[in-house]
Amino acid sequence: MAVFAVHLPLLLMGLPLKSYDTNFHIFFASHYLHHWFNPWNAKWYAGFSQTTYPPLPQQWVALVSRLIGLDLAYMAVQFAAILLLALGVYRFALLWVNQRAASLAALASVFLGSESFLVYSAGQLSTTAAAPLYLNALPYMFEWIREGKWRSFLKGAALFTAAAAAHHATLLFGSMFFAIPVLALVLIDRQGGERVSTGAFVMRTVVMTAVVGAAVALVLLPFWIALIHYPVTQTPIPHASRANYILSPQWGVNYFVVPYGFLVLALPFIFVRGSVVARLRPLLLGFWLAFLVGLGGTTPVGRVLLGRAFDVLTMERFSYWATLLALPFVGLLAAELIDRYRLRAVAGLTLAATATCALAVAWSTYRPADAQDFKVDAVANWLNRDGHDNYRYVTLGFGNKISRLAVLTDASSVDGEWNSGRMLPELTAHAGGALTSSKYFGKEGLDALHAILDHADRYSLKWVFVRDPYYEPLLSFGGWRRVDNLEDRTVTVWSKDGVPPATTVNAPQMPPAWQGLMWGTLPLGSSILAILVVLLPDSRRRAPVGVESDIAQEDYVSGRLVS
Amino acid sequence: MSRVRVSWLAVIVSAAVLPALAQSGALDLPKNIEAGSAFSIPTTGAGKATLYVAGPAQALKREVQLGQPIAFAAGDLSNAGHYLAVLRSDSSTETGEFDVAPASTPAALSFLAKPSRLPAGLQNGITGAVYVFDSFQNLITKPTQVNFQLSVAAAPTQARTVTTSQGAAWTEMNSATKEGNAKFVAQAGNVSAARVIQQVPGDPCGLKMSARQVGDKLQLETDPLRDCSGNAVTDGTIVTFTESWNGSQTTVDVPLKHSVAQAEVPARSGARISVATGVVMGNEIRWEGQP
Amino acid sequence: MGGRFLALFLVAATIALVVVGTLWPVPAAAAYAGMSPSGIMHSPSTPESAVDNLAIAIGHQDWPKAYSELSNKAEFTEQDFLHDLTGSYPSLRTYAILDTYQVQPLHVSDSDAQVRLRMRWSTVVGTFLDTRNLQVVRNGDQWAPVWPIVKETRVPPQVIAVNYLRWDVIYRGPADDWGAQDVEAPHVRIVDMHPVERAAGVVVLGELLNEDVVPAYVSVKATLLAKNGSAIATEDSFDKISHLLLPKQVTPFLITFPNVSLSEVDSIHMDPMSNLVAASADPVVEIQNQKLSPAPDAIFGGDLVNQSGQIVNIAHVLGTFYDQSGQLVWVADQYIDRALLPQTPVSFSMPVPEDLARKVSTERAVVATYSSGGFQ
Repeated sequence: MAVFAVHLPLLLMGLPLKSYDTNFHIFFASHYLHHWFNPWNAKWYAGFSQTTYPPLPQQWVALVSRLIGLDLAYMAVQFAAILLLALGVYRFALLWVNQRAASLAALASVFLGSESFLVYSAGQLSTTAAAPLYLNALPYMFEWIREGKWRSFLKGAALFTAAAAAHHATLLFGSMFFAIPVLALVLIDRQGGERVSTGAFVMRTVVMTAVVGAAVALVLLPFWIALIHYPVTQTPIPHASRANYILSPQWGVNYFVVPYGFLVLALPFIFVRGSVVARLRPLLLGFWLAFLVGLGGTTPVGRVLLGRAFDVLTMERFSYWATLLALPFVGLLAAELIDRYRLRAVAGLTLAATATCALAVAWSTYRPADAQDFKVDAVANWLNRDGHDNYRYVTLGFGNKISRLAVLTDASSVDGEWNSGRMLPELTAHAGGALTSSKYFGKEGLDALHAILDHADRYSLKWVFVRDPYYEPLLSFGGWRRVDNLEDRTVTVWSKDGVPPATTVNAPQMPPAWQGLMWGTLPLGSSILAILVVLLPDSRRRAPVGVESDIAQEDYVSGRLVS
Repeated sequence: MSRVRVSWLAVIVSAAVLPALAQSGALDLPKNIEAGSAFSIPTTGAGKATLYVAGPAQALKREVQLGQPIAFAAGDLSNAGHYLAVLRSDSSTETGEFDVAPASTPAALSFLAKPSRLPAGLQNGITGAVYVFDSFQNLITKPTQVNFQLSVAAAPTQARTVTTSQGAAWTEMNSATKEGNAKFVAQAGNVSAARVIQQVPGDPCGLKMSARQVGDKLQLETDPLRDCSGNAVTDGTIVTFTESWNGSQTTVDVPLKHSVAQAEVPARSGARISVATGVVMGNEIRWEGQP
Repeated sequence: MGGRFLALFLVAATIALVVVGTLWPVPAAAAYAGMSPSGIMHSPSTPESAVDNLAIAIGHQDWPKAYSELSNKAEFTEQDFLHDLTGSYPSLRTYAILDTYQVQPLHVSDSDAQVRLRMRWSTVVGTFLDTRNLQVVRNGDQWAPVWPIVKETRVPPQVIAVNYLRWDVIYRGPADDWGAQDVEAPHVRIVDMHPVERAAGVVVLGELLNEDVVPAYVSVKATLLAKNGSAIATEDSFDKISHLLLPKQVTPFLITFPNVSLSEVDSIHMDPMSNLVAASADPVVEIQNQKLSPAPDAIFGGDLVNQSGQIVNIAHVLGTFYDQSGQLVWVADQYIDRALLPQTPVSFSMPVPEDLARKVSTERAVVATYSSGGFQ
């Protein structure tokens, strides 16, 4: 109910459309809509393979869009992910805390600042879709390893595979932050009465890991092939989530204050209760690590733990995972506060939750990722007429609108927003992101732009759409001529003479047909299988023995500490 | 699109009648027909038959009464070329071939004149090529006389007469010594086409400048620039003044205005000043005045 | 008891890690904080650290902070300081970002020091270097730099009559019949072409002449052909050429083929392209006092004087160098970081490779210009 009340109106308002990545996901979905079994997308980077990014949420968007259009389909899939998150948090929290605290944790997930931040500001559909699947899988893994239930094994494996099909990084890092604490919990719970032999523990863990590993390898086979044959050679591109949030407080607000909100007030409780209660310690350590990595460059931990991946990944997802790991503690804290202070606690918690959610939602409006509110329809129409789409184009000063433009036009661009998918040497050699925002990447970004304009003939790049006059000197001195203007002269069209028409790039990265077939069937198939398997009737699950008593016993101690 | 459809129809018609050709008789056809003219084909026998006529970009099918001539009105066959006629009745198939020639009277000219802009006084610098067509846009392959005339004000008109070969005629003309627009006309029969050739001044001849000191500056000015035929060089042409003094140089590129280029450079005793435009060098001045 | 220790340990470790991450930030975080490679801003206890702090503030575009670091701020306003760094009129400096800087002490005594600050600014057309020799004076135990202010000339309000030519073009319409003539592309000709081998690869130099009576928008493409006739690489002149050529105007061009050796090349196919464009003869830029200082450290320099009324926001100087036989030896270029105001000299200087500079007998410069919102 809370999800319907809070998020449904916001999604129907199309709030995520202003986020960083929403249009990116819609662009990928639009390709699946028209070329379900051909992951080669010619619209960006003169052609790139969509097998470089797990496809599940985007394929669902494409599928649903046949009924309600791409934008609404995106909102529908995102909404489903938020609903699943509440369920997943409840089930995950139930491993650690009692039913009442788990219910409150699930309720808190609806108001989670990091979730709203990812949905409305970052637009990370894949992350927000994969996490709930993963959280739902973990209790099944717990049951399988502790009790050896094959039904749980099947359900867990199916959900893990679907989670990987949604976002591979979630599975990879989720194992570190989520799965290892759950495995530790299995061992700790063993001391409480119900015993599982060490051999069974190891065997079941290995079986689960092997089967899930094999399933993920198969379902995402084209992804692994692309990764192995064409490893990401992109020079690291700066991202503000790697900043030190104290030295760069503006990014601290964006990547710490907004995602955490009033959750920061729970940090002392998390540290104390997580340390005092033995069975909560694995969860605390998982949270702590994710929390530190999520702080980006504020601590050296991210760089030390992730190595080169620190310069490739963005850090806000770690804060998201940290807040998810914090939710069982939050549920526990809320339950105790309500027990002690009744209505005053309810009012205070409601206020804190609402304010946290409101701040994250409002943040996307007051500091929108895509501050430039303009339409790209005129540019798309210009490209789509008079054979202009026989040549490639690039935009300058369009920000995140390039994904929307790519959805609307038939023409191909040498730019794009999927940095790991690009293979053009002019782009990968420089630490600049999208060409359209070159100037924000300093010398590296401008060098990339210079290089690609210099090789315009090579890539049939004939049109440049300029919305920022900053770039005009480069075009003017580089031999480009202004040929038209659009949108009340706010967009100028520049052209280069003698550029040959674009031809299909016969790149070695182009996936063969069998990979297209796999990509079009297995990821979506894995999610459908997961749905079917989860619907199998469950045998009654017993609450982990000793949880209630342990917590009750140690609550008293920590309660004093908190008060 | 229609042309393609017609060609396909011709192929289909030919394919339909080919099996019958082995047992065919011969149609009595006129050997030469002018495109668009009326003509008739006599037939013998009695009963109904179907006549197929297939040619370049055109095919006809007619139900005819044997024993009566088949009349074709003016304009029925308008495309020049080789035609196949097949008259098919229940009992027999007669075939024949005939040619449709372009009409002999020119009705349209396609005239290509190159270049559209060239320096004055250039020998054989202008090329004119003409394709002669009849009123049905058939290329008239029969030799036809084409008159080319290049006329420019205050100069004698150049005229050439060329006979077409395979429908085309071409010629070369000299550009006039005087600048200005020349009218280049091609005429065949009563049809003519005209193009305008812009004759512009050529490279300057005898680039010369003078210098005059005004304060601490030297005012440089060229004489009015003319090409070797005496035409004033086009305004906007870039003239470069270069002053060399004590191992350093000062250059200024200025456009001509009213055939004269003017610039100012620092007045330095002992300076050498030169002038150039394009690849043409002018005179050099050694300035010995007081700085 | 163990639990409480764990809590204390985790909290202490978190605080310690945050302190470490703040005092010695990882490179990505340092870059976002705009720090020097050595870390955070330090107390100006040495001449170098005082200049370092100034450079950090300039890099942040924190002009009040940078201005406050100066010891001679009474001599000029913060606005003057800002205009010195970013220009009074829109120019390359206006939107430049400080890419890197170097602080080099030249001389130090107890009371003052000389420190060289080399700032490399990044702009849309490349980088430019701004070197300032700063005097740094001691005030107690602190040091503060003396900024050598360069006040840009302001153009007084006035009316400047401009009556240079301009060309407009009317192209054929879509309804014109086949065979009808169109305005013809300008006739251009490569009057010189010369490949040289450099460390970066093969460089093709040349000069292009507009031999027509109309303006031409030009570019040059070159294809290196191997001995078997196959194409090795195709590149074009991009910005190493003046694209707008008025009648009888000549531009040098330079085309670079990275990672190609001249020994692989059998022949070169040159493809000059020209288009008829609307153009204006304005602005006219005089190049004064061109001089090539001899090798080593050969520099070709001079002054640009805008003889028109229109402000030139960005000027691009192309230098052409010839040997004694008049053969082209090298082409160099430089973007001017300050706007060209009417009748106000602005200097330029571009380095010439030492080995080539020794061969140079004569040189010549041409200027391409860009005026924002101006005629294209």
